[in-house]
Amino acid sequence: MVKSLRWRLQIWHAIILTGVLTIFGTVVYSLHWQTRLQQIDAELDRMAEVLGARLRRLLPPGPPPFRGPGRPSSSSTRSGDGRPRPEFPRPPRDQTRSPGERPERPDLLDRVDHPLSGNDRPGDPTHRPEPPRSESHRPEPRRESARGDRPGRPPWERGGPDRIPPGLGLPEEFQHLFEGEDESRFYFVIWGHEGVVLEKSESAPEVPYPDLHMGEAGLPVRNVRVRDNWREVIHVSRFDVNVLVGRSISNDLAAEHRYGALLFLAGSGVLAAGFLGGGWLSARAIRPISSMTTTAQSISAQNLTQRIDLQDTATELGQLAVVLNGTFDRLQSAFEQQSRFTADASHELRTPLAVILAHTELALSRLRSPEEYRMALEACQRASTRMKTLIEGLLMLARFDSKRAVLETTEFELAPVVHECVELLQPLAEPRQIRIETELESVRMRADRSRVSQVITNLLTNAIRYNQDQGSVKISISLDAGQTLIRVSDTGLGIAGDELPHIFERFYRVDKARTRAEGGSGLGLSICKTIVEAHGGTIHVTSEPQQGTVVEVRLPVVA
Amino acid sequence: MRVLVVDDEPDMRDAVAMYLREESYSVDTAADGKDGLYKAQTWDYDAIVLDVMLPLVDGWKFLGELRKSKTTPVLMLTARDAVEDRIRGLNSGADDYLVKPFVLSELVARVRALIRRAAGKAKPVIEIGDVYIDMASRTVSLAGEEVSLTGKEYSLVEYLALHLGELVTRTMLYDHLFDEHDDSMSNLVDVYVSNVRRKLGRDLITTRRGQGYIIEQES
Repeated sequence: MVKSLRWRLQIWHAIILTGVLTIFGTVVYSLHWQTRLQQIDAELDRMAEVLGARLRRLLPPGPPPFRGPGRPSSSSTRSGDGRPRPEFPRPPRDQTRSPGERPERPDLLDRVDHPLSGNDRPGDPTHRPEPPRSESHRPEPRRESARGDRPGRPPWERGGPDRIPPGLGLPEEFQHLFEGEDESRFYFVIWGHEGVVLEKSESAPEVPYPDLHMGEAGLPVRNVRVRDNWREVIHVSRFDVNVLVGRSISNDLAAEHRYGALLFLAGSGVLAAGFLGGGWLSARAIRPISSMTTTAQSISAQNLTQRIDLQDTATELGQLAVVLNGTFDRLQSAFEQQSRFTADASHELRTPLAVILAHTELALSRLRSPEEYRMALEACQRASTRMKTLIEGLLMLARFDSKRAVLETTEFELAPVVHECVELLQPLAEPRQIRIETELESVRMRADRSRVSQVITNLLTNAIRYNQDQGSVKISISLDAGQTLIRVSDTGLGIAGDELPHIFERFYRVDKARTRAEGGSGLGLSICKTIVEAHGGTIHVTSEPQQGTVVEVRLPVVA
Repeated sequence: MRVLVVDDEPDMRDAVAMYLREESYSVDTAADGKDGLYKAQTWDYDAIVLDVMLPLVDGWKFLGELRKSKTTPVLMLTARDAVEDRIRGLNSGADDYLVKPFVLSELVARVRALIRRAAGKAKPVIEIGDVYIDMASRTVSLAGEEVSLTGKEYSLVEYLALHLGELVTRTMLYDHLFDEHDDSMSNLVDVYVSNVRRKLGRDLITTRRGQGYIIEQES
């Protein structure tokens, strides 16, 4: 079954289809998830913006903390030296920004806002506060020390975010989003610098302090992180206040999984449909081949007439069928020719054999007079002679056919050969008072003398046999355009135009029975043609019914 | 029994005709289809042996023409043994088919069977009272004793027996017992009838005066 072209097509089709569907499904699935995450992030961002705006209104105005370039980690530096921030306040540029405007930090932005970056978050170097440090670096103890040990803080820092007056509250329109038992409700946490929780929603779970700091040029920082099933957006603005808004995405994940399952189901459906369709298609494509196979199988020596049904010859298979049918045609004609020849040959051989058998049986059926035995033997002799002639002719043709015949070429004068033939055939012509005229030029040629003689004898025999009584036969030889031209014409019945193309066929007879009574084998002209062509010559017959026939043989002077 | 042999091969024709004559058939011959067809349509032969390959009118055409007027049984001879040829021969109205070369005795047996079947007798024996005619061995016995008959006498008995219960005119008898070259007087038939009566008993053949002869069916 695996060897079957159809099944192989099917299997390949299925494999390719599966691959395409898998890639397509994966892309669709991940794009869908990205879009979902972006939507969530946008929501979280919007909320963080709102919270940030509220916060800015409540916090005392002051310069943002200075961040030296290349400062790797804000927390270690700050807790290490404890130096106060340089005191050149800068106007918080982000205050002038509209919530939707993006800070001018392409590198950071690219990372944060890139649609695909959400999943990469754990490996993102900008995501500094990682979950592992959540317990050991709780902001609480540091807040103590920050308050107690550093009385010399600038007032904006000391009295800043730490003493945020209660009543930050929530915008009315958002409040309901943070309430209730919904698993995917929002939460927020706001940390002042040093990780002091300034405010958080009731819905907030345990959230580690992200410990993010403003950008180098005092630009606000936005970061996104994923903790287990929590998606969180952290905005850092003045005084390094970390505003974190998050929500659980487990519902979204579940929805996404359902979506994935749906995609998988749909893909399987498409695959199954594709497989069935492919099966149907391959069966359709293969069907002409099967029918060709059936036809070709049914063609045998006994049944050569079958042909492949030609429906559409323009297709590749149609062309193949045309070619095959052409081959079958040639095969059929070759077979028919062969079987016709065999039938003819056997017919010709059976007839004299039947005579011999009949006469011997007749003679032996009772005691006969010597005269009767003599008659029987004579009949047998005639029949045997006929068989001998026939067999010799067949053997000669077979030898020429198989290219085993060798021409014994000698150089000779043609005229004496013609004279011999004419002399030999006089007894055939005389009883019917047929004159044989000769017009012979002296022609020397190289050829197989006995074969040429056979050709002339055959042609003259035909000319006499198919002549009318008291008719005449004329044979002339001459040199014509460097070739020997032997021309035999008679005053006989002639040959009808539709018979002419067949006269060189073996056993073909113009008048099927007349010649048989006169002893012809039906091979004479085909033997002539074979011999002439073996010498590299040509034979041509022209004839008019009732006007006689002219045979022209052209042989090269040097064969 | 009179048979026509149509074959253009003189040696073949002679052998077949001679063999049939030696088997006491009256044989006419024809060398071509035209002559053969003329004879076949003119006379009522008991059987025709027909070669397929014939000059002027070939065997197939011969059969087609003949079947328009006669149902004479025809045995076709041919040197072609292809199945299609045999089927074609039988389909064109030939009753039997023989492929050359054949054995003459087989040809005669087939001719005999054809004649018998044409007369509606499938069995090769006819019993009339205590006269027993074996058409296979061409012998007649009377009460278990074989009676020696000449060829013509046997043919006469066989012909009358094959037309049991039918009136057979003297012309019919003459036509079937003698061939075209036989110009014997028609009263020879009476001579044969009296010879047969001498050998097989007076009651076998009844004379219908002025009409002919009959072997009455046993009641």
